[in-house]
Amino acid sequence: MPEAAWHGGRSTFGRRAKAGPAHPPPGRAVLGKTRPRAAALGELAQRTAALFGRVERPARYLDSEWGARRREDVSYRVCLVYPDTYELGMANQALAILYDLLNSIGGVAAERCFVPARDMAALLRAEGVPLATLESVTPLRECRMIGITLPYELTYTNVLETLDLAQVPLHSSEREEDDPLVLGGGPSAYNPEPLAPFLDAVLLGEGEEAAGEIVAAHRASLEAGEDRATLLRRLADVPGVYVPSLYEPDSAGRPRPLAGAPARVLKRVVTDLEAHRSPTCPVVPYMDVVHDRATVEVTRGCTRGCRFCQAGMVYRPVRERGADAVVRDALATLECTGYDEVSLTSLSTADHSQLEDVLRRLARRLEGTGISVSLPSLRVDAFSVDMARLVSAGRRSGLTFAPEAGTQRLRDVVNKNVTDDDLLGTVRRAFSSGWRRVKLYFMLGLPTETDDDIRGIGELVARVMADARAAVPPNERGAVRVGVSVSTFVPKAHTPFQWEPQLTLEEVRRRQAVLRETMPRKGVDLSWHDPEASFLEGVLARGDRRLAEAVEAAWRAGAVFDAWTEEFDLGRWLVAFESAGVDPGAIASGKREPGAPLPWEHLSSGVSTAYLRLERKRALAAEVTPDCSFGECTGCAVCEELGVDVVLGGERRGT
Amino acid sequence: MAPDEFRLRARYRKGGRLRFLSHLEVARALERAARRGGMPYAVTKGYTPRMKVAFGPALPVGTAGEREYLDLWLREYVPAPAALRRLAGATPEDLAPTEARYTRAAEPSLASALTIARYEAVVDGVVAEELEAALGELTASGELAVEHKGKTKVFDLARSLPEEVRVKADGGRSVVTLTTRMGPEGSLRPEVLLSAAFDVAGIRDAPVSVTRTDVLMEEEGGWARPL
Repeated sequence: MPEAAWHGGRSTFGRRAKAGPAHPPPGRAVLGKTRPRAAALGELAQRTAALFGRVERPARYLDSEWGARRREDVSYRVCLVYPDTYELGMANQALAILYDLLNSIGGVAAERCFVPARDMAALLRAEGVPLATLESVTPLRECRMIGITLPYELTYTNVLETLDLAQVPLHSSEREEDDPLVLGGGPSAYNPEPLAPFLDAVLLGEGEEAAGEIVAAHRASLEAGEDRATLLRRLADVPGVYVPSLYEPDSAGRPRPLAGAPARVLKRVVTDLEAHRSPTCPVVPYMDVVHDRATVEVTRGCTRGCRFCQAGMVYRPVRERGADAVVRDALATLECTGYDEVSLTSLSTADHSQLEDVLRRLARRLEGTGISVSLPSLRVDAFSVDMARLVSAGRRSGLTFAPEAGTQRLRDVVNKNVTDDDLLGTVRRAFSSGWRRVKLYFMLGLPTETDDDIRGIGELVARVMADARAAVPPNERGAVRVGVSVSTFVPKAHTPFQWEPQLTLEEVRRRQAVLRETMPRKGVDLSWHDPEASFLEGVLARGDRRLAEAVEAAWRAGAVFDAWTEEFDLGRWLVAFESAGVDPGAIASGKREPGAPLPWEHLSSGVSTAYLRLERKRALAAEVTPDCSFGECTGCAVCEELGVDVVLGGERRGT
Repeated sequence: MAPDEFRLRARYRKGGRLRFLSHLEVARALERAARRGGMPYAVTKGYTPRMKVAFGPALPVGTAGEREYLDLWLREYVPAPAALRRLAGATPEDLAPTEARYTRAAEPSLASALTIARYEAVVDGVVAEELEAALGELTASGELAVEHKGKTKVFDLARSLPEEVRVKADGGRSVVTLTTRMGPEGSLRPEVLLSAAFDVAGIRDAPVSVTRTDVLMEEEGGWARPL
């Protein structure tokens, strides 16, 4: 190779070279030895790696991503599991928070594991290779704790798949002293009964403080040489921890505490989000994952009070991170990860009192870098469009709004405080600002819904289409698209609608036909959420402990990745329900009076049942309830119960 | 290219477990490394500005690379040794950049200039002499028809294999070294050639581990490395 291959183009370098000291001709820079290689991985790592060439997307199973932490010489290893594939799990912010937090505790290593896709799972089983963590390739069964997020009901079979591949006994009652502690947490922890026999313990609520306390209790128990039963009793004393085996369901399916267990478990909550810094150096995946970008959680909790929304009830109260902290953490995360996008996440980002200030500051700091800022969800109002204009360099991606229902009456029932005029005004503003696509979310089967409400969706979409077309130049009208996504309403525990029946599958199909009658076709992309998957979700969301047998039977019949359309098979589940002797239709669509026994009565989000009942009554009378973060307390009781308060960075504005 | 941009060419590797990354994943990882390293990279004009960076010919999932290249355009001049240090310090070890130098603005793209690839393929459990004979028979036949996604592509082996394929025994393994010519008309992958050789010799498919050891430009009078 001739050294003279350097072609220092003068046109490139000349101008700048004059300004400063003359640069020496830039020679070849060669690094000597690279950093010493990490300690060689063991035999299991080699066996796992030998499978990489035989599976789809092996990047799912690689370790050594940027930011991954591998620690040797620790006495306590915890494996954090997201019960779906790598590309979905790596989008989970709770996992990133807990990973950061637990790895900062002396003597503790937190590692990750995701559910292997079917091809890899088959190979692991065929070769007898136990499921292991990514970082140190430690078998899950050799970790002290397996912490599993329960993001939604359709991942329940994946929990069993994970335990089985890990060669950990499925049932808590079968685990021995050397087996890991299996802990669940996350949104579905608010009714964990369908998974109760498989989980040793469940954390209710936020993990920032509780996760460390649980690990400390476990380590103290190990140090004291306690047996498993004593450990579980000790864990039941940690606030927010529910130990299902210490409760026995009564004839109505209500779990009753055995001696020593608390009668009611109250969720954990952090009083101040800023006391817990957003993880600024999260693991950066190689493969293209869902939400592949830096994130900063700007607000936790939302008190808009939509009556169908479980997140809006269980994550109360609202706590904002201040503008300075958001800007600082966003820039620090970008610097540490190298992402080209940062997302400001929350349940309703446009509600953040200092959002405009944050966006202007970030825009200034990121100018010329090609790095963009994104907002995950928008409110239906002009302010939100203005905020979207501040962040969106391109107008291609489209804006998403959720009117939820087609008529004002039904929107009042669900407390979605949005009018037709709000929506149409917002759409006109978006299209005249350059957008050519919007996506609208609606729900079918909300309580009190009539066929007129359903036709109202089609009529509203037609008006949106007409206003959108009128707002753009005539030659661009062909480009106007409105996406309409319709899901089936699933009543969830701990919401004012927790007593309401879900539509039967038959009725969903009839109402879908009604919707098609009035839905405009031209320029509209209509998509449905699979009603059969929603039905299963509804059964699991409000089922009691008897469902565990059905979950296990469905998994044994081959059910995994139920949230994936191509994998989901309701038939498999119906057989499983029958074999377990439960009637899924009665659970999902049966009528419950307020006051009827519920399988999650012993678990509390802090929102009082009296408040949920009152909200239900207001719903049926189509009365709305305002958002307490904009005005007065509405009496949900969270703040009194938990000793917390709404935390805002400034005064909130907007509607 | 804007007149005040600087074209930095870096050599990197793709090794260890990261051989299982796709080309897109490697490219994204290195772009992120450039941002983490605080490189003053240039961005494209337009609605969605992106980092100005270009890579050499793609490596498939599972194939390692010893001498891979990228061009990164910078807004500011950073002496090459400093640029290399910043880049390498922010890159996972198995993708580590090891050389960097500025190159002429007008030079053709790496993807089009690099047309020669050298490979080393390690084949487990196959007798070297048998494999050598099979490869000899195959190349003597002059052509190789390859099925890919329902289409048949015929490689002219004299053109696709500009150098003799060599086989060496190494314990129970055979080490095959070969050189291929890449181009818009198609690039012969070593696994494909070996698989055809297995067929000729009646050998069952054996595990093959492929490393691209070099990528070269064809110049008058010979081949040259781009750096």
